Amino acid sequence: MWIEGYKPIELLLILTITTFIYIGVNYLLQKIGKRIPTFPQAILIWLGTYFIFKYVLTPPIPSALMYTYMGLVTLVVFLFISSTEKGWTEFKRPILNTVMAVTPIYKGVRTVSFVVLPLLIGYGTYDFNVPKFDEPIELRTVHPAPPASVTVRGTNFTLQTARNPYRVDEKGDYLPVGKEDKYFKQNPFSPDAKGYLLYVREGGSIFFQNCHFCHGDNLNGRGMFAFAFNPIPANFSDPGTIAQLQETFVFWRISKGGPGLPREGFPWASAMPPWEEHLTTDEIWKVNMFEYWHTEFFPRTWD
Amino acid sequence: MDKILSGFNKTRAVVVGVVAFAFIAAGTVVLTMAETKKEEKPAAAASAGRPAKPSQADVDAGKQIYFKKCVWCHGPEGAGDGPGADRLWPRPRNFNQGTFKIRHTGSGELPMENDLFLTVTHGLPGSAMPPWNGILTDQQRHQVVSFVMTNLVKERNFQDMENEEFHVIDYGKQVASSEDSIKKGKDVFMNKGKCVECHGAEGRGDGNKTQKDEWGFPIFPADLHKCWNFRGNREDPYNPKNVFREVSTGLNGTPMPSFADVLTPDQRWDVANFVISLCPKRKIDPLTAHPAAQFVVKSHFVTGEIPKSPDDPMWQNFENQYIGLAGQIIHKPRNFVRLVDEVWVKSAFNGKEIAWAFEWDDRIKSVATPEAMAQEASFEETPPAGQPIASREYPMFNDGVAIQFPAKWQNLTPPEKPRFVFGDVKNAVDLWKWESDGTVKAYIGHGAMGGDLKLEPTANQDVKAVFSEYKDGRWRVILTRVMTTGDKDNDVQFEMGKYIPTVFFAWDGNNGDHGLKSSISTWYYTILEPPIPTKAYIYPFVAVILAFGLEGWIIRKANAAKPQRK
Repeated sequence: MWIEGYKPIELLLILTITTFIYIGVNYLLQKIGKRIPTFPQAILIWLGTYFIFKYVLTPPIPSALMYTYMGLVTLVVFLFISSTEKGWTEFKRPILNTVMAVTPIYKGVRTVSFVVLPLLIGYGTYDFNVPKFDEPIELRTVHPAPPASVTVRGTNFTLQTARNPYRVDEKGDYLPVGKEDKYFKQNPFSPDAKGYLLYVREGGSIFFQNCHFCHGDNLNGRGMFAFAFNPIPANFSDPGTIAQLQETFVFWRISKGGPGLPREGFPWASAMPPWEEHLTTDEIWKVNMFEYWHTEFFPRTWD
Repeated sequence: MDKILSGFNKTRAVVVGVVAFAFIAAGTVVLTMAETKKEEKPAAAASAGRPAKPSQADVDAGKQIYFKKCVWCHGPEGAGDGPGADRLWPRPRNFNQGTFKIRHTGSGELPMENDLFLTVTHGLPGSAMPPWNGILTDQQRHQVVSFVMTNLVKERNFQDMENEEFHVIDYGKQVASSEDSIKKGKDVFMNKGKCVECHGAEGRGDGNKTQKDEWGFPIFPADLHKCWNFRGNREDPYNPKNVFREVSTGLNGTPMPSFADVLTPDQRWDVANFVISLCPKRKIDPLTAHPAAQFVVKSHFVTGEIPKSPDDPMWQNFENQYIGLAGQIIHKPRNFVRLVDEVWVKSAFNGKEIAWAFEWDDRIKSVATPEAMAQEASFEETPPAGQPIASREYPMFNDGVAIQFPAKWQNLTPPEKPRFVFGDVKNAVDLWKWESDGTVKAYIGHGAMGGDLKLEPTANQDVKAVFSEYKDGRWRVILTRVMTTGDKDNDVQFEMGKYIPTVFFAWDGNNGDHGLKSSISTWYYTILEPPIPTKAYIYPFVAVILAFGLEGWIIRKANAAKPQRK
């Protein structure tokens, strides 16, 4: 399954696949006696990695990190070619041939590269000295440590022990985490919806009157207002958000919103209001449950 | 031996069977493909676009999806009255009448299955309907469409052979966009097509502001400068094909008629090319289908006086920057339906003064009435049950625009900022607000927690509106202020080359916008771009000379080495 928005997997997958394809093609070429010489190969690897980092991976890699990555790639390529005397000589040969201009062709190459190189250096120096103002990179903690307890509309909740009072089956008995999946495909608007399913309907109604504007009709953080925000609102359908969190953590986040985040969570970067201003604790619990029902994730438990 | 032989025969039979089966399968596939191809062609028969009757299995599967994903807005009976509906405008589609806007079929006709499928796939930009592509599979989207067609369209029947016709439009031969075609298109827009009557002289949808849709809800003509908000743009805003289609079919349920009988296909292509030419060309962010946001706003250095008219060549030289705006829906009174969804900005400074040029589309110029001001205190936000926000009438407030900075950004450790909605108790903001009655004021903001907006005019009032104009559905305003003032505690002080956090606001007075009920952006950064330093020109020059020198040295060395090699 393709996991939308799950970048680390995507990154590793792309790099692994490219590496394997590269090794495979190289092996085949060697088999038919058309091995790519070391020099073009080194250039190819360097440009190939640059291309992937720059144009394939999203979101774009910040330039400071790009320098580090490409520095590492250069180092590894040099380590590889200089690991054997033979490889090193082979690598050096085309460079020396060009510098010595051993044939008319090499002389042509030398003339062209000796004109182009200084111009490139000139452009690089200019580019380096012109002040640039890209968006600064600001890395925040996405799931900061929750407080031990939280007071919402006058009631104190201890996050380790608090339970969602609406997580109940048809008979009103507490529905342990992991047992609710039988409701995932059921119709919350059916006239005989009771317990869990009925509260999902109520929670969904609250969601679609208050939250979908930002978090989206599919809870993927792409609501109709999402394009105005930076970062875009949380994507609950991503396995990295509510699927990784306890129900009470989510209860804390809804109740206290952006202003309730600790400093490392960058409260100023969040447009989320403290929903206790608009919703009762009952409504917050219900909308909380709806989010799990809709995305079909189980909340994490404390044990 | 016998056994081996029979085994061999068996194998052969299997091989023959498999080959025969493959042939039959391939034949069927080819035949079906030929048939589908035939169907895709717009045929003369008025039934060519009629959806096939979906299977019961598909309808059942579609129902399950509908009650998980769609019911929240479209309602359990598909009447467009789900729990979310009352806070939306445009309202979710009421399926019962079979009235669908985006189609390939004639005016007033039911849509083809593919039309509904594409609407579900790409969503309706500018409304709450998201693209379901990548969320529901192709099959699931077909299933949910099957359920809608059979169970929720109640007053008409797709299978009614006698009364329901499907005239599929013919795209003809597309006329490529060119200066000539755009010119002809403009002529059709202004004269023969009479598009101007509703869409306005500049196409900003300000021609006829009092129209209603089939259900009696107010509806505005499209603002043709925002092609990313065209409902039928299929996430491909600059494609004139979508405009051609809508001009040809009309939008059922709205005042937009079909022009198929009025305009020739070539004229419709011309008008489509003209409409697309009105929309600013920007890089589109594939995730939001809106212009990609650049979160750093550049203020350009100019020498001498900053021109006071946005038509001055200096202002025209700078590119307008797109700022997407959301409704302020986090503190009461909330703005669920914001009518100003974007503002375009430019900025310039000359060392003494800084200027901001704002541009935004608003179909109705509004200036507050005394009655509105009197009602301000008793303003209630939530639509009461059964009273949709879409049909609400508001007292007339001022249109407005504002820009906000942390009052003392120098004292904040980056990336810390005040709360973006008018600041907070700890960190104040300096907000400059222009209103359509001519008021320009700087305010000090201490936030809106608990709905209690703390916004007071500052002592120094140095902000000036040097230009403001409403014309053809667009406001243009230029605000200026000296870069540094005497009141370092309450007034933002500008410095070159620093990231200064910035938020943008807009108000649409006839939408009841005032105070907290506003359109709002998130935090941006403003940079006063310093002029390019001289060293940026000298260093490269030196570097090139050095590089050439080094090369000369290398060549000399190489030449010296050559004879030895021989």
